[in-house]
Amino acid sequence: MTGADLSSVMVERLVADFLVDQGPDLQLVPSLAASWERSADGKVITFHLRPGVRFHDSAPFTSDDVVFTWQKIVDPASRAVGRVDAFLPIASVEAVDPLTVRVTYKEAFAPALRGWQIPILPAHLYRGADFATAAANRAPVGTGPFRFVSWDAGRSIVLEANRDYWGGAPGLAQFVFQIVPAADTAFQALLAGEVDYARLPAARQASLMDDAAFTGRFRVLRSVPLFFYYIAWRGDGSNPFFADPRTRRALAMAIDREGYVASVLRGLGEMTDSPFAPLLPAPRARGPAHDPAAAAALLDEAGWRLDPKSGLRKRAGRTFRFTLLVFTGGEDHVQFSQVVQENLRGLGIEMRIERLDWQTLWTRLKSGDFEAAFSGFVPGPDPDSVYGLLHSSQIAGGQNYAAWRDPAVDAALDTARHTLDDTARMAIYRSIESRVLEAQPYAFLFAPVVLGAVNGRFEGAIPSPAGFLGHRPGAAALRPAVGAPQDR
Amino acid sequence: MSGYLARRLLAALPTLLGISLLAFALLSLLPSDPILTWSEGMIPASAAEMERLRTALRSDESPAERYADWLLALLRGDLGASMRDGRPVTTLIAEALPWTIVLNGAAVVLIYALGLPLGWALSRRRRPMLGGASGLLLLLSVVPPFAAALLLQRLFAVRLGLLPLQGTGVGGGLAVLPHLVLPALCLALSGWGFVARYARVAFRSAMPESAIAAARARGLAGLSLARHFAANAALPFLWMLGGLVPALLSGSVIVEEIFSWPGMGRLLLRGVEGRDYPLVLTLVFLSGVAVLLGQLLADLLLPALDPRARAPLVGTESGE
Repeated sequence: MTGADLSSVMVERLVADFLVDQGPDLQLVPSLAASWERSADGKVITFHLRPGVRFHDSAPFTSDDVVFTWQKIVDPASRAVGRVDAFLPIASVEAVDPLTVRVTYKEAFAPALRGWQIPILPAHLYRGADFATAAANRAPVGTGPFRFVSWDAGRSIVLEANRDYWGGAPGLAQFVFQIVPAADTAFQALLAGEVDYARLPAARQASLMDDAAFTGRFRVLRSVPLFFYYIAWRGDGSNPFFADPRTRRALAMAIDREGYVASVLRGLGEMTDSPFAPLLPAPRARGPAHDPAAAAALLDEAGWRLDPKSGLRKRAGRTFRFTLLVFTGGEDHVQFSQVVQENLRGLGIEMRIERLDWQTLWTRLKSGDFEAAFSGFVPGPDPDSVYGLLHSSQIAGGQNYAAWRDPAVDAALDTARHTLDDTARMAIYRSIESRVLEAQPYAFLFAPVVLGAVNGRFEGAIPSPAGFLGHRPGAAALRPAVGAPQDR
Repeated sequence: MSGYLARRLLAALPTLLGISLLAFALLSLLPSDPILTWSEGMIPASAAEMERLRTALRSDESPAERYADWLLALLRGDLGASMRDGRPVTTLIAEALPWTIVLNGAAVVLIYALGLPLGWALSRRRRPMLGGASGLLLLLSVVPPFAAALLLQRLFAVRLGLLPLQGTGVGGGLAVLPHLVLPALCLALSGWGFVARYARVAFRSAMPESAIAAARARGLAGLSLARHFAANAALPFLWMLGGLVPALLSGSVIVEEIFSWPGMGRLLLRGVEGRDYPLVLTLVFLSGVAVLLGQLLADLLLPALDPRARAPLVGTESGE
């Protein structure tokens, strides 16, 4: 629970079960909670727990474990950053009986169930122990399809099948996570047969897909994660450029993201015109299309006129020259920024690129110490997760890096949170979306396709925006391929 | 001798304090926020949540207060706990250090096993073939470790399938040996040229042909001949080791990363990336201490091996 790296998140998913889980299409599905109901006013959710479930040490799973897990997550000392948000509106969590949990919210909270997509801890192993150093942190015990065997620091984590799993025994006898920090090494290890799954390096995805020898040996899993790239234009007036929505719109039209995805990514990317892109019912909203001529006209209208001497645009004696912050470790990030630089130069705008390490970039974003920044956003499966990017309460300390302030959107985001009727709620998000696309506080760009490859000795991997392990059934569905030799 | 030792140790104290202050200042200068680093991987952390954590964890203390806290704990022998892992820093180091020692030890053995005989042969007479070989080794030593690592991995693991590509395997003991070959070779590449060249010069000046002929004339041969020159020849190699080990250690940060070797280099990289202050602080401080100890050891060994270095030492001691 304390770790946040990819491997500890995946191990957690295999060893523990969530109270409520998501299927491959991110729809909510029962897990440790076999069913649930919501009171008419939406403030009370009652979970009915699955009977007969046992932890790997054969202690029974009960409502006590759910209450305990909630207590630990809201305890600041646990540092459960990123999981607390959905729990802040909770008034109380009670164990009604060993198989019933009643959660009372301060007010109706529409995305409440998503918050319960959390692994349930064994209360009997943590109670009384110091949470940060408890033995169960290094040797986790859960109710999940795989039980923990060993963790060799910095080397590997070994899990084995839980034959008594309530959802049926998994198809693999053993699951080994090798800790391979360098992405290219992980891919080479896949080719050498040392590991059975690895992500394909972004730069080689397209060529590997055309390589028959490769696709014959490995099953390629294609997914578009809930993620998109954006450029935040700091619009709070701290610079003379981005407070004007016309300028932001012009820049969005100037950037040739379609060209980048088609040529550099060889089509392995999806346009993201809206922060809500895949979260709202079809059809998807469209943002301004790539149109340099219209962008130039819009910039003229906003007062940024071409200065024939320098070839750059000027307004009130000020040259249109700004700096874009970019994460230096991301190949996409740097390459795409150079495309933007080129696009804008064509319009008479000089954009400098400042490459920063992740921590420094993040600190500059949070403190508002920038003019424009290229970054990415990971929405949750519920449209409420975009709150942090758009609500004015999230300018100080949150993720509203553009410092965008629209009282109507603030009010609508808050209303949507408390609207239980799904149709009405989605209609509110539609209205927010159209205001966002009009104002363009961010340039919404694209979502790269992620390709991973599983050794052909295995089958049953279900690709998903959450990754092939990040859903139910996930790892439990993996099995040796029929007719293939198996030793792992 | 003991007075000299005590004085040297006392003189090291301000240096140690300086190292600790420098390490702390460097980390404090890094623009980052420890609470931010927990919400890694762009998981949204809301403004309310950040504020709640900040108050609860007193992360608003001034750097001076935090330095004082750390120094006092250090004096008590408490190196603190990793912010990401929750376990004591000493535990993490105890896990990683043996791996780094094994890797660098293997590299030193590889380097000397080829570099010394080559240097010896080069020091005896001019052979164009040998000169070419040492030139090639020198050329190899400038190949950056990350490039050498990728080439070695592709050739020996992916193409030929002779050796494991990365990692340490699941078991321990001798099962690790095949996994050790490529990373150790990768490190050794950077040292061979340097050691062979250095050894040639060292052997020439420590054991010139004329001196060997003279010793032979006095009837020395075989082992007794070797023993006669042992102290003379050992000296430069001790010094060389002093230059080699820090170079290897810094190279091994990259090599450990590429070969998934669970040593100190990777511990440091993860610590810096995650702004794990207690861990990085301890690692930087300890590496300073190690360099200091190495110098001290060399200063003490030198007089033991070289009588010329002993004389002034005795002089200062008798002067007290």
